[in-house]
Amino acid sequence: MRKLKYKQSNTLLGSASLLKAGVVWAVLALLLVLLAIVSVAIGSAGYSLSQVVDALLGKDTGTVRTVLISLRLPRVVLAILIGACLAASGALLQAVMRNPLADPGSIGVSAGAGTAAITILLLYPHLALSVPLFAFLGAACACVIIYVAAWKGGVDPTRIILSGVAVNSVLGGYNSLLQLMNSDNLEGVLAFLNGSLSGCSWASVRTMVFYAVIGLFLSLLCIRNANALQLGDEMCTNLGIRSSMSRVSLSAVSAFLAASTVSVVGMISFAGLVVPHLSRMLVGSDYKVMLPTCILLGGVVLLLADTVGRCIVPGMEIPVGVVMSITGGPFFLLMLRKRGQFNGG
Amino acid sequence: MGVNASGLKVTYDEVVAVTDMNINIDKREITTIIGPNGSGKSTILKALTRLIKFQEGSVYIDGRELGQYKTRELSRRIAVLPQVHSAPEDFRVKELVSYGRMPYQKLLKGQSAEDRRIIDWAMHATGIYHLREKSIYEVSGGEGQRVWIATVLTQQPEILFLDEPTTYLDISYQYETMKLIKQLNRQTGIGVVMVLHDLSQALEISDRIVIIKDGRKYSEGTPDQVITRRMMMDVYNVRCDIVRLNGRTKPIIVYNELTEQDEEV
Repeated sequence: MRKLKYKQSNTLLGSASLLKAGVVWAVLALLLVLLAIVSVAIGSAGYSLSQVVDALLGKDTGTVRTVLISLRLPRVVLAILIGACLAASGALLQAVMRNPLADPGSIGVSAGAGTAAITILLLYPHLALSVPLFAFLGAACACVIIYVAAWKGGVDPTRIILSGVAVNSVLGGYNSLLQLMNSDNLEGVLAFLNGSLSGCSWASVRTMVFYAVIGLFLSLLCIRNANALQLGDEMCTNLGIRSSMSRVSLSAVSAFLAASTVSVVGMISFAGLVVPHLSRMLVGSDYKVMLPTCILLGGVVLLLADTVGRCIVPGMEIPVGVVMSITGGPFFLLMLRKRGQFNGG
Repeated sequence: MGVNASGLKVTYDEVVAVTDMNINIDKREITTIIGPNGSGKSTILKALTRLIKFQEGSVYIDGRELGQYKTRELSRRIAVLPQVHSAPEDFRVKELVSYGRMPYQKLLKGQSAEDRRIIDWAMHATGIYHLREKSIYEVSGGEGQRVWIATVLTQQPEILFLDEPTTYLDISYQYETMKLIKQLNRQTGIGVVMVLHDLSQALEISDRIVIIKDGRKYSEGTPDQVITRRMMMDVYNVRCDIVRLNGRTKPIIVYNELTEQDEEV
C-alpha cells in the first residue's frame, strides 16, 4: 500500500518538471512564429498587414510576395538558425569549462574562424567561395591550440579558459593588424566582423541549414556527457564517462557550430553567453531540458535582435552583431545583479 | 576476491606521493585508510579507482587488472565518492541521485522502470526519500552527504570508495554518516573502502585499517592491532593512551593532557 503511494506521487512529480519544460518550449515556439511573422511584415518597404497576409497565403503573387519570400523570409530563417547554433555552441562550451562565462566569442573559437575568413577575404580573394571551410578550419585550429596550451596530463577548466583568452587576444590582434594593413579594402570584412544578415539569400540559408542540422544533432548527442561534466571531473570518471575525452568531443561540436555561423554571417558575440544563461533561469541546468530550450531561445533572441536592428533607425540597418553586443552586455549585467539580489535575499 | 594493489607508485610532477604500496582489500569488509595530512591516503584511493594514473605497480579488481575494464563497466562494479564534488544549485535531490544510473543507461534513452526502482531504493536506504523534491542547496550538510552517497549507491557497486565522507560535517552529521555506512555494509553486504581523518571514527567503524605514513604503508590489520601508542607516536607524533572501558567493545584513544613539558617536545 505504502509503496504504491510512493510510486504514484513519484510519477506525477516526475512528469511535472517535463511538463514545465514542455510549457516553456511551447511558449518559445509560439513566440518564434509570431516574431517571424512580425519580422517578415515590417521593413523599409511598408506593406499593410492584409497585404502581407495575402502575399504569404499566395493570394497576391506580385512584388509584395517577391519581396517577402525572396528577401525577408530567408533572413528570418537564417537569424533563427544562427541564434540556435550560437546558443547551443555556448551551452556546450560552458559545460566543457564548467564556467558560465564561457562563450565561443570569448575564448578564441570564433576569433579563429574570423582570422581564417578575414585572411582569405583580404589576401586571397579568389578563394572567397571556400570561406566556410577555412572558417571551420580556423575555429578547429584555435581549439587545438587552446587544448595543447592547456594540456597538462589532463584538461583543467581554468587552464582552458586562460589559454582561450590568450588565444583570443592574439587572434584579435592579428585581425586588427590585417585590417590596418588593408584599410582600402575593408567593406566586406567589416560586415563580416560585425556579423550581419543583410543581403543574405536562400543560398546562404541552404548552407546554414546543412550545418545546423548536423551540428544541432551532434549537440543533442552530447547531453549526457555535458551533464556528467557538471558534477566535476572525478565524479564524471566515477560515472564511467571519460572527462578529457568528453571535453574534446564537446568542444569539437561547439567549434563546428560556432564556425558555421561565422562562415555564413560573420562574428556575433554574446548570443552564446546570454541565451544559455537565460535558459538556465527558465528550466534549470539539466542539459536534457536546458539544451533544447537554448536552441529555441537562441532563435528567438537573434531574430528579435535582427528585427530591431532593421527598424530602429529608419533608413539604416544596424548589423545584428552590433545590436547583440550593445544590448547583450548591459542585459547580462542586469541579470547578474538581479540574481545577486535574489541569492542575497 | 576484492581489490589487490601491488608495488603502486604515484608521482605528481616528479614528487613521489605514494610508493611501494601493497594493499589487499576484502570486498565484504569496511577498510579504512588513515594517516596524517599529505601522507598520500587520498592518492591511494584515487589510484585504486582509476581517478588518477599511477606510474608503477598494478591494481586488480576481482582478479582483473584495472586497465582491462572499460571505464563504464568498472562504474557498475565500484563507485567512488570523491572528496570534492559539486552540482548545479538548481538540481533536485532525486535528479542528482538518478545520475548514478548513467553507467547503465543507453545514449538518448530515458530512465527504465529498473532505474526508477533502484533510485527509490537508494533514497530510502539513505533516508532522504522525503527530501527528493528539494533542491540540493536546500538540504543540510549531513543530508547533502547522504544525497551523494545515495547517488553512488544507485551505481549498484560491489565496493563503495569514500574519500573523507565526514570531513566538514558537524559531529552529529558525522555520527549519522558513519552509522549509515555501517548499516549499508552490514545489511546489503556492500564493501566499503574509505579514507578517514578521525582516528576514533576509524577505530569504531573499521574491520581493517591501513595506516599510511609519507606515502608508504606503516602497518595494517584490525583496529586493535594497529591503533597503538607506538603507532600514534611514530606516525602522528602524539602521546596518548589506548584505553578500554567496560561496556565498550572497542578501545578509545585518550590523548595526553597539554602540559608545559609536552609543548617543549
